[in-house]
Amino acid sequence: MLVLSALSLILWLFIVPMGMGLLIQRILPQTKKTIGITCLCGFLISFAVFEVIGIWCMIKIPYGAFHKCSVAFASVQGILAIAGYAAKIMDIQRDYEKKDVNIFYLFFPGDKRAKPEAIISPRTDVRVMKFQYSRESLIYWAVFLVVLIFQLVMAVVIAPFDGDDSYYVVESLLAQQTDVMNTILPYTGSSTSLDIRHAMAVFPLWIAFIARMSGIHATIVSHTIMPFLIIPLVYLIYLEIGRILFGARQDMIPVYMLFISLFAMFGNTSIYTPETFFMMRTWQGKAMVANFVIPFIFWLFLWLFDDCRKPGFLWKEETKGGIRSIRNSAWILLFLLNMAAGIMSSMGIVFGAGLIGLLSLLLLIYTRDLKVIIKAALSVIPTGVYLLIYTSF
Amino acid sequence: MYGIFMECWVIFKLYGENGFLIPLFLVSLIYLLITEKDNRKRLVIAVAPLIVLVGFFIPYTRIAYVAVLSDGGDTYYRILWLLPMGVCISYAGCKLFINHKRIGLPVVSALIILCGSIVYKNQYMVKAENVYHIPQVVIDVCDVISPGENEPRVRAVFPSEMLHFVRQYDTNILMPYGRDIIHWDYYNAVHEVFEKPEEINAKDLLEATRQAQCRYIVMHEGRKIDVPLDKMGLELVDNVGGYNIYEDTEAVQQ
Repeated sequence: MLVLSALSLILWLFIVPMGMGLLIQRILPQTKKTIGITCLCGFLISFAVFEVIGIWCMIKIPYGAFHKCSVAFASVQGILAIAGYAAKIMDIQRDYEKKDVNIFYLFFPGDKRAKPEAIISPRTDVRVMKFQYSRESLIYWAVFLVVLIFQLVMAVVIAPFDGDDSYYVVESLLAQQTDVMNTILPYTGSSTSLDIRHAMAVFPLWIAFIARMSGIHATIVSHTIMPFLIIPLVYLIYLEIGRILFGARQDMIPVYMLFISLFAMFGNTSIYTPETFFMMRTWQGKAMVANFVIPFIFWLFLWLFDDCRKPGFLWKEETKGGIRSIRNSAWILLFLLNMAAGIMSSMGIVFGAGLIGLLSLLLLIYTRDLKVIIKAALSVIPTGVYLLIYTSF
Repeated sequence: MYGIFMECWVIFKLYGENGFLIPLFLVSLIYLLITEKDNRKRLVIAVAPLIVLVGFFIPYTRIAYVAVLSDGGDTYYRILWLLPMGVCISYAGCKLFINHKRIGLPVVSALIILCGSIVYKNQYMVKAENVYHIPQVVIDVCDVISPGENEPRVRAVFPSEMLHFVRQYDTNILMPYGRDIIHWDYYNAVHEVFEKPEEINAKDLLEATRQAQCRYIVMHEGRKIDVPLDKMGLELVDNVGGYNIYEDTEAVQQ
């Protein structure tokens, strides 16, 4: 039973998201096709798809809603993941025939380390290439890894108390044990009408889906398993932020990541900070807004700004001759992120849209390209739809 | 307007009250605004946070926030979540010591540690007693009263220290009131007679619990009550971790 549960967790928290990420990877620039970004994209799709299926099932299906929701969500995820793997395998089949090809780099070409001749080439943008780390940098990476492992161990051996768990965690457990989606009051167990403010934020039900698929009690999934997923995912976002900030000085990335991890541990200056939410309420949608959605927006805008004024020949090389979907991949991810923000918290989608508005304005001023307005408006369409549903109840 | 500004100032101070990470962030922000040569990076991680920070203190922002969000007064601090404090401090630290990593690493780490407050020392962090991360005594009590596979759900009264956890373990146990009654101090008949008096009036309690169709009453053995519940016709099912579990066979279940 334990082995089956573990295998199921690996399937739904790694293999399936990675497959869906591979689907999105097709529209990413070459340098962004890394294992980390693919994984992040996979979870973005997972959250975005659940937003649509979850809310639809919740509103339209009166009885046994969660069972039907789980079947539909599992099927859609399964199809997307299979499509992702199939498309990738077809893509790399040709290259695999060649000699000396590393299968890992065929799946994730963005992780390829730069060759010395590439680094000295005048046509190379060293900011986007990955270098071999020096021994000193590897030591810093090892220290970061120790801090990360420490945080993960603490997430298991320490139990934070938070009153909101009696709502959100019970919401997950109710879905798992009684098949309902927000129609039973978590506090007491009596029936209730749909409380749209909480109901639209279906992240507890996403956790319930993982609990159902793995056969593990939803409270254990929330409190003990989710930190193992969410903490590394959040660090992946910070890592990508660091990659853009440090450009060619990649030796600074492990030092920066070490500071970030220390900040996460020592940022508990009050009960209100994102770091406190990150460590004490990791599994709650609010914590995901503060630590996943908002940093993700910063990363995407750093990426959008970074793409400005990139030498044309490099830009073409990176986007396979300037294919439109690849050129606009950051905006597409922003669209998906807006959908994902909705499952975290109703506040998250408003905050996300506000921050996107501010950063888009700065991008507009910097690039003086009016298309930014259109792209930004398109990327926040999910916010509009969400607010429309929210206000119509 | 000045009053609203001062409210924002108090919220800002409370946000970082146990440490000096906010001053460290402000120093980092100013440092990045001055020294970051790449405008693209400066706009995203220095100018945008500065605009958010200024916006936070503008009284009109607070007025709009409170008007739009139902609990806006309590959650205004969340605007500060839009400040990438960790990124600013870490990037500024790396930038400052970019050519002196071996000095910079301990200096900046020490600054973060000394200016911050470690989360694991938070009063709400306790040693986990099980993988559920809820007190073991709650699990033991729930195991006693939990209905079997084909049995109807049961309703039970729990003392306030257990309220948050019961339904995180088993949703087949219903309760006459939950965390909302305690948190927002709403009225609930059972809560009024069970939690509020220093000494419980057994007759009043049974009247309220029977009205609410509670089959079980869980009470700490040290809790004062004028007449012991077993003398009022209830059966003492078990004592788990110092908590007496009484079954009221007269109570009708839904």
